[in-house]
Formats: sequence, structure tokens, C-alpha cells
Amino acid sequence: MRQLRQSLPTGTFVLGCLVILGLIPIVIRYLNGLGAISNLSDGRPWGFWISFDLYCGVALAAGGFTLAGVVYIFGREKYHSVARPAILTAFLGYLLVILALLVDLGQPWYIWHAMIYWNIHSPLFEVAICVMTYTLVLALEFSPAVFERLSELNLPVIRRFNWHIPLRIIRAIQIPLVIAGIVLSTLHQSSLGSMLLMMPHTLHPLWYTPVLPLLFLLSAISVGPAMVIFESTLSTRAFGHELAIDVLSGLGRAIPYILGLYLLLKLVDLLVAGELGLIFTAYPINLLWWTEVIIGVVTPIILLSRPAIRQSRRGVFWSSVLVIFGLVLNRFNVSMLALGMRPGFTYFPHWMEVAISVALVADALLVIWLSYRFLHIAEHGEAVAE
Amino acid sequence: MSKGTLYDATKCIGCRACQVACKQWNELPAEKTTNSGTYENPPKMTAYTFTKINFTELEHNGKFQWVFNKQQCMHCQEPGCAEACIVGALVKTEGGPVTYDEGKCIGCRYCMVACPFGIPNFEWDKPLPWIRKCTFCADRQGAGLKPACVTTCPTGALTFGERDELIAEAQRRIAEHPDKYVNHIYGVQEVGGTSWLYLSPVPFEEIGFPTLPSAPVTINAERAMAAVPPVLVGVAAAMAGIYWLVQRQQKIGQKAGEEEKQKEKVK
Amino acid sequence: MTNHWIDIRNADCVLIIGSNAAENHPISFKWVERAMEAGAKLIHVDPRFTRTSSKADIYAPLRSGTDIAFVGGMINYVLNDMKQNPQNYNMDYVKQYTNAALIVDPGFTFHEGLFGEVKDSKYSAAARATWKYADKTTPATDPTLRNPNCVFQLLKKHFSRYDVDTVGNITGTPKDVYLEVCRTYAATGQKGKAGTLMYAMGATQHTYGTQNIRAYGILQLLLGNMGVAGGGINALRGTSNVQGSTDMCLLAHILPGYLAIPKEGDTNLEAYLNRARPATITPQGLAGDKSANWWGNYKKYIVSLLKAWYGNAATRANDFGFNYLPKCDPGVNYTHIGMFEAMGQGKIKGLWAWGQNPASGGPNSNGEREALGNLDWLVSADIWLNETAEFWKRPGVNPANIKTEVFVLPVACSYEKEGSITNSGRWAQWRYKAVDPPGEAMPDLEAMNLVMLKLKELYQADSAAPARDAVTNLDWNYGAHITADAVAREINGYDLTTGKLMASFGALKDDGTTTSGNWLYCNMYTEEAGNKAKKTDPIDAHPKQIGLYSNWAWCWPVNRRIIYNRASVDLNGKPFDSEHPVILNYAADTKWQGDVPDGGWPPINQAAAGEKYLPFIMKPEGVARLWGYGLAEGPVPEVYEPWESPLDKNLMSQTKTDPCSFVGSFMNNRGTPERFPYVGTTYRCTEHWQTGIMTRNLPWLVELMPEMYVEMGEELASEKGINNGDRVIVSSARGDIAAVAVVTKRFRPLQVAGKTIHQIGVIWHFGYSGMATGDSGNILTPHVGDANTTIPEYKTFLCNVRRA
Ligand SMILES: Nc1nc2c(c(=O)[nH]1)N[C@H]1C(S)=C(S)[C@@H](COP(=O)(O)OP(=O)(O)OC[C@H]3O[C@@H](n4cnc5c(=O)[nH]c(N)nc54)[C@H](O)[C@@H]3O)O[C@H]1N2
Ligand SMILES: Nc1nc2c(c(=O)[nH]1)N[C@H]1C(S)=C(S)[C@@H](COP(=O)(O)OP(=O)(O)OC[C@H]3O[C@@H](n4cnc5c(=O)[nH]c(N)nc54)[C@H](O)[C@@H]3O)O[C@H]1N2
Ligand code: SF4
Ligand code: SF4
Ligand code: SF4
Ligand code: SF4
Ligand code: SF4
Ligand SMILES: [Mo]
Repeated sequence: MRQLRQSLPTGTFVLGCLVILGLIPIVIRYLNGLGAISNLSDGRPWGFWISFDLYCGVALAAGGFTLAGVVYIFGREKYHSVARPAILTAFLGYLLVILALLVDLGQPWYIWHAMIYWNIHSPLFEVAICVMTYTLVLALEFSPAVFERLSELNLPVIRRFNWHIPLRIIRAIQIPLVIAGIVLSTLHQSSLGSMLLMMPHTLHPLWYTPVLPLLFLLSAISVGPAMVIFESTLSTRAFGHELAIDVLSGLGRAIPYILGLYLLLKLVDLLVAGELGLIFTAYPINLLWWTEVIIGVVTPIILLSRPAIRQSRRGVFWSSVLVIFGLVLNRFNVSMLALGMRPGFTYFPHWMEVAISVALVADALLVIWLSYRFLHIAEHGEAVAE
Repeated sequence: MSKGTLYDATKCIGCRACQVACKQWNELPAEKTTNSGTYENPPKMTAYTFTKINFTELEHNGKFQWVFNKQQCMHCQEPGCAEACIVGALVKTEGGPVTYDEGKCIGCRYCMVACPFGIPNFEWDKPLPWIRKCTFCADRQGAGLKPACVTTCPTGALTFGERDELIAEAQRRIAEHPDKYVNHIYGVQEVGGTSWLYLSPVPFEEIGFPTLPSAPVTINAERAMAAVPPVLVGVAAAMAGIYWLVQRQQKIGQKAGEEEKQKEKVK
Repeated sequence: MTNHWIDIRNADCVLIIGSNAAENHPISFKWVERAMEAGAKLIHVDPRFTRTSSKADIYAPLRSGTDIAFVGGMINYVLNDMKQNPQNYNMDYVKQYTNAALIVDPGFTFHEGLFGEVKDSKYSAAARATWKYADKTTPATDPTLRNPNCVFQLLKKHFSRYDVDTVGNITGTPKDVYLEVCRTYAATGQKGKAGTLMYAMGATQHTYGTQNIRAYGILQLLLGNMGVAGGGINALRGTSNVQGSTDMCLLAHILPGYLAIPKEGDTNLEAYLNRARPATITPQGLAGDKSANWWGNYKKYIVSLLKAWYGNAATRANDFGFNYLPKCDPGVNYTHIGMFEAMGQGKIKGLWAWGQNPASGGPNSNGEREALGNLDWLVSADIWLNETAEFWKRPGVNPANIKTEVFVLPVACSYEKEGSITNSGRWAQWRYKAVDPPGEAMPDLEAMNLVMLKLKELYQADSAAPARDAVTNLDWNYGAHITADAVAREINGYDLTTGKLMASFGALKDDGTTTSGNWLYCNMYTEEAGNKAKKTDPIDAHPKQIGLYSNWAWCWPVNRRIIYNRASVDLNGKPFDSEHPVILNYAADTKWQGDVPDGGWPPINQAAAGEKYLPFIMKPEGVARLWGYGLAEGPVPEVYEPWESPLDKNLMSQTKTDPCSFVGSFMNNRGTPERFPYVGTTYRCTEHWQTGIMTRNLPWLVELMPEMYVEMGEELASEKGINNGDRVIVSSARGDIAAVAVVTKRFRPLQVAGKTIHQIGVIWHFGYSGMATGDSGNILTPHVGDANTTIPEYKTFLCNVRRA
């Protein structure tokens, strides 16, 4: 606890500064347009925000539905302790996606048009509907944490309300909620891949495949546990509690299976398409492919298959970092680096683009910090230090 | 009944009257340009330039050539932009034009990424930007007029009419002057066909046309989207099933556990 | 144009030489392409590969200023080929309809590029006399064309020097390309085939520009291409109404209807007529035995014009007011260059620039801008504030040092007023007013009327005013508000006896009982049909639908769409080209069908002796002139180098430059190839108009061509270390300009006289006024002019280039 008090004020100060720094470009954007704060252009209409905030953001929030599934559907109570933080980060992750879109969209206050003008053929439409609904589901899934805390508080008006009623309702519909969450996630995680199916001639053949949706889903599932390992390791460090090693290694154990399937599918697909040779010939873009596959897929498979590594906190943590890195690179590849630009254009993100994304992440960290302070996030799993 | 326009590069004199007529009809502002060593300007199509003539100097069949080609939205038969558009703001109309409804658009720019020809453009300099592209002068067509660019074209490089008839006309021209044209009508097949069709004296890839197969860009996405309902039902059912199984097993396990305990007690 | 725009579609071969038709006359290309759809070949001859060349079957490069060599070689090719393959040519046409067979004065000489003695840039009268037929009124002919003094043999002799190698050495055109041009175009010599020749400023803007056109004329006549559909010599006139303004005497040497301007010696009407009215020449021994010599009607036209201008003040007693007309002084050049030379010398006190922008459009801008400062006053009647109106605050001068008082009259632009324009095809078309002019701007006509009314008032009041009667007696009767309709009627003319509009110039009289402001337009506005310029019947009523559209607008003369059309039929009246006949089916009762014939007489073989009219009725000899008569530099074109040439000698003779050209002296330095090794030329681009003031003020057009640029080949650019898009300075002996370099394969170096010649192309659409500004190409051009017309030599000069 001492650690927390000392480190966080400086931490929050830095985060607060980042948030403010991110606000400046947002103001400029609403005055002078997207061109004034970004290097986006007609040749590269989707840039850092879509790759980072949307593509990475949604995938990295996959810890929510995977853990909810593991705990509530597959009944692995052991992981209960990490479920709530996972849901919280997922919920925040999705909120950030939506916030980021409010900057990125040309007509942000028409974002709700997606709900009334349906183009059921558009993968983006599906993503939008799923993301919106799923965010609601996540909010409900997470709400018990809030209600519990509210019911404990001895505050004037709030005290009068019986917080156990909503709590009981939520608990009653918890399983349908979790199932809905999994269904929605399956759909939109894969639809993010479907969106790219529309670019058969601009997305490089090393990545373009009709099974992209499946690859997206698999990689999202694999990164779910990795993200949970990553976040909980960091948060426990920050807040001074420790997570049971068997929870960590248990999460880590699942990863090689999913990644293995993912890798197999990726290779077989290239083979079937007759494009496997591209991994050698398509220089220099193939370097990205190799980096993604070696660092983000093959290495973690090897590492996490070894019990010794699974039993080490550092081993599990760094393996997860590799998985996350691989996924981030993959999402950047498909949505930016390997996606052809119109002739005559170049793109490198403007610092303000990055600043906005950083500010959003800082926002999330602040909220997480507040949640840990004021809500029962980690108490389920407060394991005794080894 | 679907309209199209045939652009014949062997007849185009690169005068760019079409570029100006388009700006005039669509009330588009002039862009600030510089001369960068070519007649071509503005350098690229933008939200304020819906059509543009490209100038290419090249050698073909041992003869030096200066070939012009007009770029604008192709008004695809199976437009990627319309399929992509989240709110259905872009729509392929029966008459040919792919129209845009700014009352719906949210500015997500998916259409821009999804267009195989790189056509839709964005008002990067506006606080509340819209997508902009050639409208095929749908408004003029509605009033029984030809597109502004076609009307203004002095030479007959642009012909407006029924798409089928234009294809026949293009075939006729190739047959009549096989020496003047490459034997390819661009837009008949490409990505499922486009309302704008092209004839050229040199291979299309040499004047900057993308080489595209006849499959529409939309087919894979369409298939994926068709899988959505079954996936939805399937995953929901599977999860419910697993939950039920797991619960049952746990109950059995609990019972067994309790029995064990009792047994122990008994012991 | 002898023919008209739509008629281009009837051609079997289109030769565009000295014009960039696709860029400067885009609409003409609709018809060029129609012809090509039907199988015609397109040839483009130009120093640089242009948007026109891009559509051509054959593109032939040449060194700027060498058209006479180029076309002379083609003439030589045709003359030789005629001997070998006479069956490929319309020899009847050549013999019967041109002066090929006529015998020339045996005293004619040609030596080292000269046709006799030249003094003070003029051939002596003795020399000029030898250029004519041996018998001046009834010349003899040799139908076999063998007499060494017949025009045909003299031509052969003259052009035999223009062999392919010599020509190639001068022009730099690759030999294979050149021969292909010759072969392809000569094929139009076949009976029934037609080749059209389209030219404009690339041909005319040379010190020997008129001779360039002569060469085209000779070629077309040898090929039987004059008077036929799809043929002709077609000057692509510049502005939409430049034809109309020339018809109405925009130029310094004519009155309306191409009547000669009176000169000092024309002391009375008779003297004037004796000088200006050509005597009939009747060739002997041709199938046709009668020359109509239409100019024999001169007196009717000049008297009707004077009656239109001076009304009741024009009486037989005062020679119909002939002496009210100002007379030109001898030895004074009244053209643009001459005027600015005089201005430079301080001889001119005031200038009225009415819809003209000489500060940018005239040659040697630095000189002409300086000359404007010698004026006491300058009026600019214009739709924009152009470089001329703003010359006193141009870059580099101190306005305080310029004393000229400048007035600006805002006038209405073409959409803001009514009136006619006459297009290249001589079609007068009515234009209606679309919108009101802004602010104080008023139609030019109204401004002129107000000025004239005020002038008359001032002259009336001042009994000592010089030439007072010439002004006060003017029959200026439009009232306070002039209309284009009233002027159109006056131009057509009235029968003063009946008060009715004249039906056509055939009825004009020389006794003062008729008026006509311009005899050529007499028939445009009649009692029966009204203002025919307003006709818009889109039906082609010609029996073979050759695209005459005779009921669309009205065309001078008397709605004849293709002039010299009696040369399109053989002696029996049968059209040479049965697919595209111009006039056809002559019968004694129904006369001709098709176009309005050039005189309705029967075919030569059906007419009675003494009534067999020769076809070229505007020529005193009734036949077309392969052998010229009246031009300054002699009867046939001869190769000279431009005033500034990259060569040290003329490869054809000892006479280097045009002996009769006009060379200005005001701030007009001459460059040498040592300091200025490259051949410069100026031209237009589609996107801008002339001095650019009308287009550089329109954002959409500025967007297309935003900056002053020059074009050059890759070889020259790499020699000079210039990259595409670099800023460069182009200089001539007269000044420097800054521009963007467009480095392109479209300009290739040429091998000329054993040297590599690089050419640099310069547009002249920029200036310091308006929205988009830049240097004018005319800072480089010299103050020299054509021997006959003094049109400036804008097209060829010497220059240098370096990176800015
Ligand atoms: N867009 C546009 N159109 C115009 C105008 C304009 O300003 N802009 N101006 C109008 C007017 S007033 C006129 S008079 C016409 C002029 O019409 P054009 O005569 O077609 O005009 P230019 O571009 O001056 O010159 C034509 C060509 O002559 C070539 N040339 C240069 N030197 C020579 C030579 O020695 N021999 C030959 N054979 N060719 C040579 C040049 O490369 C150029 O391509 O255009 C009219 N149309
Ligand atoms: N170097 C070079 N110089 C050239 C040429 C070339 O080829 N090379 N070509 C020459 C040729 S062919 C020509 S025709 C001349 C043209 O030379 P200019 O006639 O001097 O050029 P424009 O720019 O057409 O100028 C016309 C003026 O008329 C004004 N105007 C337009 N409409 C109206 C109207 O209705 N009423 C009045 N009162 N004014 C109006 C315009 O604003 C403009 O100021 O330039 C010549 N100069
Ligand atoms: S060209 Fe592009 S913008 Fe035009 S219809 Fe096709 S996909 Fe849509
Ligand atoms: S930017 Fe507008 S038109 Fe384009 S896909 Fe998005 S909503 Fe549709
Ligand atoms: S069809 Fe209309 S909008 Fe499209 S390029 Fe032509 S003028 Fe412009
Ligand atoms: S208007 Fe016609 S000829 Fe001119 S550039 Fe456009 S398509 Fe070509
Ligand atoms: S500028 Fe005017 S006159 Fe010249 S081609 Fe174009 S439309 Fe015709
Ligand atoms: Mo002109």
C-alpha cells in the first residue's frame, strides 16, 4: 500500500498531463478539420487511429470475453480473480474505441446513424452494432462491482436505495449476458477481419485471405489470456498484490494451442492459395510477416510450451508481451503497413495523431486507477504473497 | 436500363474542358496548384476535383505517344464503396450512378479504403467533412441531361448512353480500327463491370489503370457476412450447451465430493 | 477558311502545319476525328510534339521557321511524281483551273534567292514587272505544260532545288518521316480525293509568313484540293470573331470588304480605282475562255460603302466623299509594329486600346511597354484591368516617372451584349445577350456611339478642326442608343430608291443609289429573310449531305459555304468527287444543286463560246495562281532564315533573311547564335487565352495552368543541368523571363546543317496583371515583321536558358 501511495501521484500527474496534451489536437480537429492534426490523406484515409485504437484496441480487449467465458461458461473458478479486471479493461477498451471514433469520424454526432441506417452488407456495420451492444453488455457485466461498492457506502441519498436489487437482477441474467458477450465478440472480432475482405487488391496477398475473419478471431482469442496476464501482472505490481502463479501459468498454457491453430491455418491458407512462396519473395514486406510470425507466434508457442517458463512469473509475462506484440503488429500490418496506398501518397502518423491515442490510453489508466482505489476489483483474487 | 459513358482515349485531346465543366456544374472551388513540370493539374483528384485528365508520355509499338486518360468514379456494377458503407449512404442506383447521401454519412471513410480505384475523397480541411466523388451527374441525368463533362467534351471522346450499347459501340470501333486500339474494353469485366468504359491505344496498365480481375471486390466480404446469422446462433447454442454440461458435471462432482466427505466422516 | 469547320470531316487526309489545332481550336478536332473515323490520315508538322501530334498518324518535327523548305520539298515531290505517275493526279484541274499553263515574262530572273533587284527592302518596279505573264491581258498558254516559260516549268525549275536531302538539312526532319509525309499527302492528288490543310500562327508569324501560305496554296492547287469538299486552305482564325473583324477592316491596309485603303497618290476616286481595281486578264487556249474578274465591280462596292458612311453628303460631285477618307502616307508602316516604333520615337500622342493588350501581346514587350510611356494619354476599353492599362505600375518602374494619363472604360463582355460574330468558316452567327453587364460597363457599341456623338459635337463646335467635314458629315444616325441590329442592316445596305434592304451585292450600284457597309455581307439581312445570322435550322439540305448546313447561320459571300466551288467539277460539270460533290446536277432550267455556286454559269463545256467562265472568279485571270503576282518577295516562295537564325548562312542561297521584311529599331536588339544558341518559339496552350488576362483571372483555369512555363527537350535540359519542374531563366537579346521548365520527350533535338539544334518553347499567356501573374513570353520576341503584313516574327528567335 505504501508503494501505491508513493508511485501513483506522480503517475496520475503524468497521465493527467498526457490527457491534456491529447485535448489540444482534439480542439484543433473540431476547428480546422482532420487534415490539420493528422497526416491522413485521400491516399491513406485510415491511419494510426484505425490501426491502433480500433484494430488493436478491440483485439486487446478480448481478455473480457475470453475470461468471462472461461470463468462463467467453462466454470473455471480458479480464474475468477482475474475476470473482473479483465472485464473492466475490456469495457474501458471499447469505450476508448468509441471515443477515438468521435475524433476520427467526419461526422461524429451522426455516429448513431449506424443504428438507424442499416447496411447489413457492410462488415463495418456489423462491427459497429456489435461493439455498441457489447459495450453495453460489458457495462452490465461490470456493474456489480459498482453496485457492491455503492451498497457499502454510507452516503446520504445513495444509502436509501437498495443496491441489492440491481445486483440480484444482474446476477440472474449473468449467464445470458456472458453468452451474449461471447457471441457478439466472436462476430465483431472476426468482422474486423471481414472488413478487410473488401480490399482484395490493396491488402497484400501475404495477409489477404478469405479466412481472415477466422484468423482474426483466433488471434483475438489467443491474445485474451495474454492481455490478462499482462494487465494483472502490471496492476498487481502497481497495487502491491500478487496473483497466484497457477492462475498465470494456467492462462499461459492455453495460449500455445490457440496460437498453434492460428499458425497452422495461416500457413495452410497460403499454401492452398499457392502464395506460400511470397514469404520468401515479397521482399521487403515479407519481413513484417516474418517478424509477426516469429516473434508473435512461434516464439511464444515454444516458450509457453515449456513448464519451466510457465512456472516463472517473468517467463509468462514476457511470453505474453510477445503475443501482444505479434497481434499489434499483425493488426498494424493488415490495416496499414501491408495495405496499399493510392499512388503518389506517403504516410507517417502525425505526432498529434499519436498524442490523441496516448491521451485516450492515459484516460483509461486513470479510470483503472480510480477503480482499483474505490471499487472491489482485485479483492476476489487477493492472493497471499508467496 | 443502366447508363454508362464510353471514354475513348484515341479521341481525347487532353483539353480538360471536362475537368472545368465538372467543377462548374458541381460548384467546386479551384485548388491552389503549381506547375511541377507537367500539364497535369491538380496533381491528384481530391474532394474538390472529381475528375482529372492524366497525361502519359510513352513509347508504344516503336512510336512515341502522349496518351490522355480521364479519371473519375467508375460507377461500378458491384461497388466496393457502397457495400462497405456502414450506413448505406453510397448506393448503386438502377440507372447507373453510385450516389451519395450526405444526410446519412458518418465520415468513417471505409468507402475510401474499399474502392478498388481509389476514388472517394474526403474534405480534410473541413471541421465536418463529407465524402466527395463524381456523381455521374445523377442530378443532370434526372433532368434528362448528359453529364456535364460529356456535354462539354469537344471531340466526342466521351459518349453517354446505355451501357450495353456503349459496349457494342466500343467493340465496333475496335473491329473497325484494330490498329488504333488495344483489344480490351476496360470496365466490361473489371471488378464485375463498371458503368464507365474505356478504350485505349496502349495497354491500360501503361497509363495507370489497375489490372483487376473480373470478380467483384465484394464477394469475399459478402460470403463472410452471409455467415453471420449461422455463427450467431451456433456460438450461442454452443456456449449454452457447454455451460449446461459444465454445470452438470460440477453438480455431479460436488455430489461426489460431498459423498466422499460423508464417507470420510463415516470412517 | 476557303471551306468551313464541318467540311474538315470530308477530307481524306488532314495536314495540320503551323497550327496546334487540338489545343487552340478544340472544336475543329471534332471534325478532324470524324474524318479519321472514315479513314482519313492526320499529319502534324510542328517543332514540338503537341496534343495535336498525339492524335496524328504521322508527326513530323521541323526546325521553327523552315516551313518553306518543308512544303517546297513536298511541292518538288509532287511535281516529280506527277511526271512519273500523272494518272495519280488531277491533271485537268492543274491545266484548266490554275495558271500552270500560262506563259510568264521571259525577263524573269532568279539568282541566289532573289527575283531581281532589291533596294531599301523593296524589289524594284522593274523586277516586279518581270513576275507577270508575258502578255498582261491575254496571256498565252501551253496546254502541254512544256514551254520552259510556262508557270509549271518555272515552278519545276524553282522547286527542283528542294530535294529531300537539302530540305532535311534545313528543317531537321528525319528523312523517312519526311518521305512518308510526302507520299501520304500527295495521295490526295487523285481525282475524287481531297486533302485539307489547316494552319494558323505557326505558319504566319514569320518574316516570310505570307510566303509560307503561298507555298501551301501551290501545294493544294497542284493536288486539286481547292474548291472541293474536304479540301481548301484553312486558316484557323484566332478569336471567335477574328474573321469578322478582318472582314470589317480591323487591319491597317484595308477598308471593309477587303477594299484597299486609300493612299496618298489616290487623289480622287478614279485614281484610287485605277490603282486598286484589277484589270481583267483572259488566258488564251484554255477550255474556259471568260474571266469573271469579280473585282471589276470595285466601284460599286466603294461607292456603296461611301454612301453608307456619308449618306447625303456623299454625292457624285464630291466623288461620294472619297476625299473624306484619310490617306496613308508613303513609306509609313501603319501596322502594330510600325505604330509602336512610331510611339517609341515619340510620334504618336494618344492610343486607344480597344479590347487589346499590347503590353503583353505585342512583340518585344520591354520595348512596347516603354513606348507606351511616350504617350500623352492612353484609353483602355476593356473587360479587365490588363497589363496595358496598368503598364505604368509594372514591376521595375517608378509610376512617378511615367507621365501618360490612363483612362479605363469598362465594357461588357461577350455574354453581356448582342451582335454577330463571324467564325473561321465565314459564318456570321448571331449571339444574344445572356446577362446584364456589371456596374458601369456597357457594350462596346454603345461606348463607341457615345464617343462618336461627343466627337461630332466637338468638331461641330470647332470650325478650325482639321478634316472637320470628314467627321461632321458622317451619317451617324443611331440616336442615343445604338443597336447591333441597326448596324447589321447598315452593313448589309439599302436600295436608296426604294428604301428597302439590298438583296445581294450583285445589285449594288456605282451611281450612289445603293449603300452597303460591307459588300461581302450584302445578303445577310434581307427584306424577305430578315437577319440570316439568326438562322438555326439544323438540317443539312445538301443532296449528298456534305455538311453544309446552309440554313444554319449565314456565310459570306451570298451564303456560299465552300468558295471556288466551281473548281470541284470537271469541264462537263461532273463533280470530281461523286461522294462529296459541292455543286452538282447542272441543268439549263434548274441550274446547279448543292452549294451556292461561284457564279451560276453553266459548266464550261456546255456554255457558249465567250461565255465559258473560268472557276476562280476573284482572280483577274479566272484561274488560280500557282505563280503569285502581287507579294512583296516575288512570285514563288523561297527559303530564307528567320531574322535571328542559329545558322550562319542560308543553305539555299546567299540571301540569308527575307529581303523585304520589316525590322524595327526601337529597343530591338538582335541576338547571335554565339550568345543565344537555341531556337525559341512562342505559342499557346489550351488552358489560357492570349495575353491571359481573360483566363488568368479565372480560378478554374489558373488551377490547370498555374504558372509561366517553358518547354525543352531532355537532351538540352541535361546539358544545362535542368530538371523537370526547375525554375529557369530564358533570355534573348531583348530581355529575360523566369519560368518553370517542363522537360519533355516532346521536344527532340534536330540535326540541321551538321549541327544539333535545340528548341525551346515559350507560352506568352502571362503578365503582371490579374490573379495569376508571371513573365510574358513576349519579353523575348523581336520587333520584326513579315514583308507583306508585318505580322511579328513571334515564332522564331534566338534564346538561351539557365537555371534560375
Ligand atoms: N486555348 C487557346 N486557343 C486559342 C488562342 C489562345 O490564346 N488560347 N488564341 C487564338 C488565336 S488569336 C489564334 S491566332 C490561334 C492560333 O492558333 P495556333 O497557330 O495553333 O497557335 P500557336 O500555339 O501560336 O502556334 C501553333 C503551333 O505552331 C508551332 N510552330 C512554331 N514555329 C513553327 C514553325 O516554324 N512552323 C510550324 N509549322 N509550326 C511552328 C508551335 O509549336 C505551335 O504548336 O489560336 C486561337 N485559339
Ligand atoms: N509571342 C506571341 N505573341 C503573340 C502571339 C503569339 O503567337 N506569340 N499571337 C498574336 C495573336 S495571333 C493575337 S490575335 C494577339 C492577341 O493579342 P491581344 O488581342 O492583345 O490579346 P488578348 O489577351 O486577347 O487581349 C484582348 C483584350 O480584350 C479584352 N476583351 C475581351 N472581351 C472584350 C470585349 O468584349 N470588349 C472589349 N472592349 N474588350 C474585351 C480582354 O480583357 C483583353 O484585355 O497576340 C499576338 N501575340
Ligand atoms: S469506383 Fe470506387 S467509388 Fe466509384 S463506384 Fe466503384 S467502388 Fe465506388
Ligand atoms: S465515409 Fe460516409 S459514405 Fe463512406 S463509408 Fe463511411 S458513412 Fe459511408
Ligand atoms: S459525370 Fe459529372 S460529376 Fe462525374 S466527372 Fe463528369 S461532370 Fe464530373
Ligand atoms: S473534354 Fe473530352 S477531349 Fe477534352 S480532355 Fe475531357 S475527355 Fe478529353
Ligand atoms: S474556345 Fe470557344 S470558340 Fe474556341 S473551340 Fe472552344 S468553344 Fe470553340
Ligand atoms: Mo490571333
